[in-house]
Amino acid sequence: MGKKKMTPEQEQYKKLEQKHELKRPVLKNCLKAFLVGGTICLIGQAVSYFYMYFFHFTEQTAGNPTVATMIFFSMLLTGFGVYDHIGQFAGAGSAVPITGFGNSVISAAIEHRTEGFVLGVGGNMFKLAGSVILFGVFSAFAVALIKTLLIMWGVL
Amino acid sequence: MIQSVNPEPAAVRRNSGKDHELAEKIKKEVQAVPAIYDVAVIKGKREVLVAYKVKHMQRFHMKRIEKEIKEKLEKKYPKETFIVSSDFKIFIEVLELKKRMKDKDYSEKDSEERLQKIIQFKKELT
Amino acid sequence: MLKGKQSWVFHNSPVIEASAAAGGPFEAKGKVAKDFDILHDDLWMGQDSYEKAHTLLLEEAISTAVKKAGLTRQDMQFMLAGDLINQITPSSFAARTLGIPYFGLFGACSTSMEGLALASFIINYGGARKVVTGASSHNAAVEKQFRYPTEYGGQKPPTAQWTVTGAGAAVLTDCKEKQGKLVTKSATIGKVIDMGLSDPFNMGGAMAPAAADTIVAHFKDLQVEPSYYDLIVTGDLGKIGQSATVELLQKEGLEMDTKSFKDCGLMIYQDDQPVQSGGSGAGCSATVLYGHLLNEMKKGKYKRILVVATGALLSPLSFQQKESIPCIAHAVSIEVHP
Repeated sequence: MGKKKMTPEQEQYKKLEQKHELKRPVLKNCLKAFLVGGTICLIGQAVSYFYMYFFHFTEQTAGNPTVATMIFFSMLLTGFGVYDHIGQFAGAGSAVPITGFGNSVISAAIEHRTEGFVLGVGGNMFKLAGSVILFGVFSAFAVALIKTLLIMWGVL
Repeated sequence: MIQSVNPEPAAVRRNSGKDHELAEKIKKEVQAVPAIYDVAVIKGKREVLVAYKVKHMQRFHMKRIEKEIKEKLEKKYPKETFIVSSDFKIFIEVLELKKRMKDKDYSEKDSEERLQKIIQFKKELT
Repeated sequence: MLKGKQSWVFHNSPVIEASAAAGGPFEAKGKVAKDFDILHDDLWMGQDSYEKAHTLLLEEAISTAVKKAGLTRQDMQFMLAGDLINQITPSSFAARTLGIPYFGLFGACSTSMEGLALASFIINYGGARKVVTGASSHNAAVEKQFRYPTEYGGQKPPTAQWTVTGAGAAVLTDCKEKQGKLVTKSATIGKVIDMGLSDPFNMGGAMAPAAADTIVAHFKDLQVEPSYYDLIVTGDLGKIGQSATVELLQKEGLEMDTKSFKDCGLMIYQDDQPVQSGGSGAGCSATVLYGHLLNEMKKGKYKRILVVATGALLSPLSFQQKESIPCIAHAVSIEVHP
């Protein structure tokens, strides 16, 4: 495990291979990610205003139903087989917003439907999203702990 | 959402000139803060509700601005209780309340009840 | 007969009596769609799981090939097949249905040529009179195992390759009348080569040294020139792997002409299909060879070809444990018997 030492022969080949390798078009990808990610957020903002105008939600509380609605949209798009194409086009633009999280859960659930509900869907649903939840909760805990300590010591 | 509506300040007690005057003064006071635009003020029986919109690039300092406005107002009018909010929902609710108050049949009691409901919005966070 | 270090020469020229290819919807839009015997317009193929659809593909390819040879399943003595799924269940399940004595093979995407080489060897030495060999892969089933769920919106880098949904099978016999028929002449079994690359989204680059090694070994063992073949075709190197192989061969003193050095992964799909660097998978070389290329040979376009199928011998576990990708390549030469 871990990084193994490469033999000179392997190093040499690596150099040769890299000449032929197709590079990711980073700048183009960033631009696409920005546009698609921005569009998703714009839709989210519209949904959030919808909840403010027509329901009793404030800017603070509209977040929860907005997130649920966006995940619902991403569920439909995933189920109809559109989201993976958006993902190939937009990269991080569609992966970073909450819809990407929804997509990772839903796609895994669809994928493992053939293994049954308990061991298939239940067991594999968080195959990709599980680490997001774990590390998300953990880092939130760590940051909150630091803040609490700083306040206790009177730094903040 | 983005454009200014600039609503007239209002008071729940329709015939109290003092309340109207106070609301007017508070509105001018708050409008002078550079980071914000569009201020709506409603003077209730006990509280004064101040809703405003923050300029887009200043939204990062929303919490600080709210604190500053509140402190400023409380210092100037120590007798009043202020509810200060930049929440857009509260702003649209204030406009709605003002619309209803224009109707002569809408009683002061109803207005006050509705104002209390808006104040509730400020308190609930999740 | 062993010739040189790692090659076999088949003096009795086993005959490829018939071959067949089955494919999925994506292949139906590809460049060589007309050479498929069976094309499905749905990835599920009427089955309730992708793995069952995978099994069905191989069953169909084998039974079509057997039928085209004018034989029945009972005439077949052995079946050699393999795929990419855990414990090669689709091939084993197909063997269960077909009821032919069975060798399960695993050589990743090189399985097609591993099977053809072994089948030729068995026929050549009288181990059997009629053998069927095949290889298959199913895009969704393989992606599920090796990568992310099918509908997951992850971005694939331009080095990635698209797993072919398809199965190819060939029936080999020891038929005595060989004139004008396709026969296998020789095979070179490759070494496992690991150049330390560990990116599972760049298999072509990892497999190129294995392909080059086997091609060099083949010409050295058989003492022929590359010009002996009308066409040298690799399995699924894709754009990157192919150009890297050409450069590696150049260093060994073998000049490859772009017209006579092709890659199945680049032949199967249209240029505008979103497959990044080309096709891959055990079914890639199997369908292109047993469908398109053998048809072309029958039409007389090629007289002698050398097929080099390359395989990346990784598992989802091994690359997550940061192991590099060991690769292999097997070559079989097919000729029109004079």
